Amino acid sequence: MASECQAIQEALSEYRGEVVRLGAAERQHVDACPGCSEVAAAEKALGLIFRDALAPADPSVVAGVMSALRPVRIRRRVVAFVPVAASLLVAVVGALLIGGVPGSGVISLLPGWSTRGWSAVLGSISDWYGVTSTGVAAATAAMDPAFLAAAGVIGLIGLAGVVATARRWRKISPWRKNG
Amino acid sequence: MAVTGQTEKLSDENLVELALDGDEDAYGALVQRYQRRLTAFLGQLVGDIELARELSQEAFIRAWSALARFDPRYRFSTWLFRIAHNLGIDHLRRRRLKTVGLYRTDSDGDEVEVVVAALDKDPLGHLENRALAEELHQVIDDLRPEYRELVLLRHFGGLSYQEIAEFKEMPLGTVKNKLFRAHSVLRKALAAFI
Repeated sequence: MASECQAIQEALSEYRGEVVRLGAAERQHVDACPGCSEVAAAEKALGLIFRDALAPADPSVVAGVMSALRPVRIRRRVVAFVPVAASLLVAVVGALLIGGVPGSGVISLLPGWSTRGWSAVLGSISDWYGVTSTGVAAATAAMDPAFLAAAGVIGLIGLAGVVATARRWRKISPWRKNG
Repeated sequence: MAVTGQTEKLSDENLVELALDGDEDAYGALVQRYQRRLTAFLGQLVGDIELARELSQEAFIRAWSALARFDPRYRFSTWLFRIAHNLGIDHLRRRRLKTVGLYRTDSDGDEVEVVVAALDKDPLGHLENRALAEELHQVIDDLRPEYRELVLLRHFGGLSYQEIAEFKEMPLGTVKNKLFRAHSVLRKALAAFI
């Protein structure tokens, strides 16, 4: 078979024998070439056979899939809730460890209810700042500045990773829309 | 589920975006778009239309569950067909299909078993021309495996040559050539119906 015929017949196979999808020069070739004309006709007929061979659409498949999506969504939501629940648990356990078992007077110590609470919060912030700056000063004294700079860069990369993950998570979080 | 005309016009990529935002109707539109072809493809792969319906349902549910991991650089169609194909192959490996055994004599005069899917589950059972259905079933079955899969993806899965090339991770030229050769076999075997 001539290479031109081969190329045209491959294209006819792809276009299900539709000669109109060929270029002008190729169409002329098909008109003049008995072999390619025969293939065009046969490919068209083959296309029709396969079109009829396709089973009709079955609405039960669509209905079945759509009714199954809700349990999947619920399962995804439960899985997504696990880290939140774990964080809450850690927070509660931490609060218990630091402050002991809350008694009836705990509410009165919260910032919204007393100035004593607010001063406690401010004191904590001041303490936190003090501890951090002391820690940084100690680390600077004890370690090579290059090492600290590298640690800082790694920390920033880690932070960027957390932000990127959080952004992606926000996009796919199952409760974002429609329940 | 009613799919609006607007949803129907959206591309697969747009529908996937909407589905990722939690829009179940958008995903429903994708299911409607592909269920017929996916079921037909699986029907030919596993030889049982009832099983194909179950598997295509499962493929859509798996795709929904894994949608967040879908890489938008690829086509949704090829991704979905890959999920379905893997399900079909896994199923064939795990479970023997319910088949009817027949015997025929081969060219050397030996009796060999022909495995044919049970008639009530025939994926071509809806074809009115039974002689054509049987011949088509036989010729597809007799194709070399590398041609058979491409023919199923093309004519039952309705994938374009480009999509098949992506699915098979094969150069487009190779897909064209193999399908051309497969068509030559099909044209010859089905000459009486063409």
